[in-house]
Amino acid sequence: MQKEVVILGVGVTSFARVSGRSLTDMAREAGMKALKEAGVDFRDIQVGFCSHCNQPLGTGMECFAQLGMTGIPVTNVEVACASQTRGVILAADLIAAGVYDMALVIGVEKMPRGMVPAGDINEMPYHFRLGIMPMPGAYAMQCQRHMYLYGSKPEYFAKAAEKAHRNGSLNPNATYRDVYSLEQIMNARMIADPITMLMCSANCDGATATVICSKEKAKKYTNQPIRLMGWAGGNPMYVKGHEEGLAEGPTEFLGKKVYEMSGLGPEDVDVAQVHDAFSPGEIFALEELGFCLHGEGARFVWEGNTEIGGKIPVNTDGGLVSCGHPIGATGGRMIAELSWQLRGMAGPRQVPGKPRVAMIQNQGLGGTNVMMLAI
Amino acid sequence: MASEQKKRIPFKEGLYTLPSEGREGYLIGSGCRSCGESFYPKRVVCANCYSEDQEEIALSKRGSIFTYTIARVTYPGTPVTAPFVTAQVQLPEKVQVLSLVTDIDLNDVKIGAEVDLYFWKTGEDADGNEVMAYAFRPVRP
Repeated sequence: MQKEVVILGVGVTSFARVSGRSLTDMAREAGMKALKEAGVDFRDIQVGFCSHCNQPLGTGMECFAQLGMTGIPVTNVEVACASQTRGVILAADLIAAGVYDMALVIGVEKMPRGMVPAGDINEMPYHFRLGIMPMPGAYAMQCQRHMYLYGSKPEYFAKAAEKAHRNGSLNPNATYRDVYSLEQIMNARMIADPITMLMCSANCDGATATVICSKEKAKKYTNQPIRLMGWAGGNPMYVKGHEEGLAEGPTEFLGKKVYEMSGLGPEDVDVAQVHDAFSPGEIFALEELGFCLHGEGARFVWEGNTEIGGKIPVNTDGGLVSCGHPIGATGGRMIAELSWQLRGMAGPRQVPGKPRVAMIQNQGLGGTNVMMLAI
Repeated sequence: MASEQKKRIPFKEGLYTLPSEGREGYLIGSGCRSCGESFYPKRVVCANCYSEDQEEIALSKRGSIFTYTIARVTYPGTPVTAPFVTAQVQLPEKVQVLSLVTDIDLNDVKIGAEVDLYFWKTGEDADGNEVMAYAFRPVRP
């Protein structure tokens, strides 16, 4: 019998471009915020994970040492943009199995300006080395295919960014808090057709943290635990004849696993966070998670269904597009926002009608994590 | 003094064979002798049936655009100049190749358009060798 797992507290620093802050300073701030929100002393943490993608050897050990040196095992976790949610999934697996009952997962990143560097150029795939695949390229190709198959229009994809910037303007932790009209987004510098600059997430610095524990143990700390109803992580799956099309990762497969594990379906979800490294990502994730049929996601967003107050509010904190993208910390921001939404703590971004069920999809270079939360 | 013969070398090894002595160049794929699945780039272990019994195959030179985008930016220090068309090209072997598409009007790129493989010079290395990459371009009548 697996133990039930809950989220006890979350912490997020302000995200900013080239903040000048150190990794350890940001990680300590996020970690302390999460511990304080959880009402937990660091001495009660039994295991730690630290997710980051672009940092020196031993970053996790350095960051955790700022919070305390109790000798607990700390492991660094890298799954590109999906690193922090994978850390939470690993911790959840250990808690569910009864190995530990209290874990802290920290995500931390400092990012340079410009497009994401990907390490030693000689080890990079041909298309990166040749320069023919700028980061938004994969999402842009998915958009083109979507427009070809389903008649979606460029403005449908821009609409997700318009909403993201508007939501982000209500989020004090977001890097970009300006509101843009659909026209401004469409007319911004084109990066990879139909994706413009204002539909892209920007590299930034930031840290996030999540305290998770067994439901049993949580009783001591809170009467408002966020229950982890289902979770699944995965990597791209080979489908004979490459028939899977262009999906970045196995979101659809993992979504089904999470629905089965949680006993909940897309119709039960009140608020969601999905990976919008480029705003069309919101549309593809909605389709893959079954919130609408394949081909209908763009119109679904265009018609306002994902607005705060809409049928299924998505990326209520501004998503990656407005918050910015400290790669290894992004998943923790998603968890934090949903935790606050479920606890009624989201302030001006609060989804009306007391949301009870929330879903997360976070992916990076194919690595994908899906989770279901409930209060 | 005899000058050394300039050679044509691939931008990256193992992906394609350059044209030489009248023979056409081609992309190197792999075909699984166990289940028949094809791959590009070539694989050692089949992603479909996990067999290591793979043979190298010369992939077809003509394909069609499965999807594309017009890239308006690229990474510094790379040999392409934005804007350019980048596409997933579908080959008859049921493999997709991510490739530059050239000789095409940016306003006239269409999914389904037929394209042919060719090789282009990205520059020269320190020894003066011509460094060659591949691209596709619209089928010429």
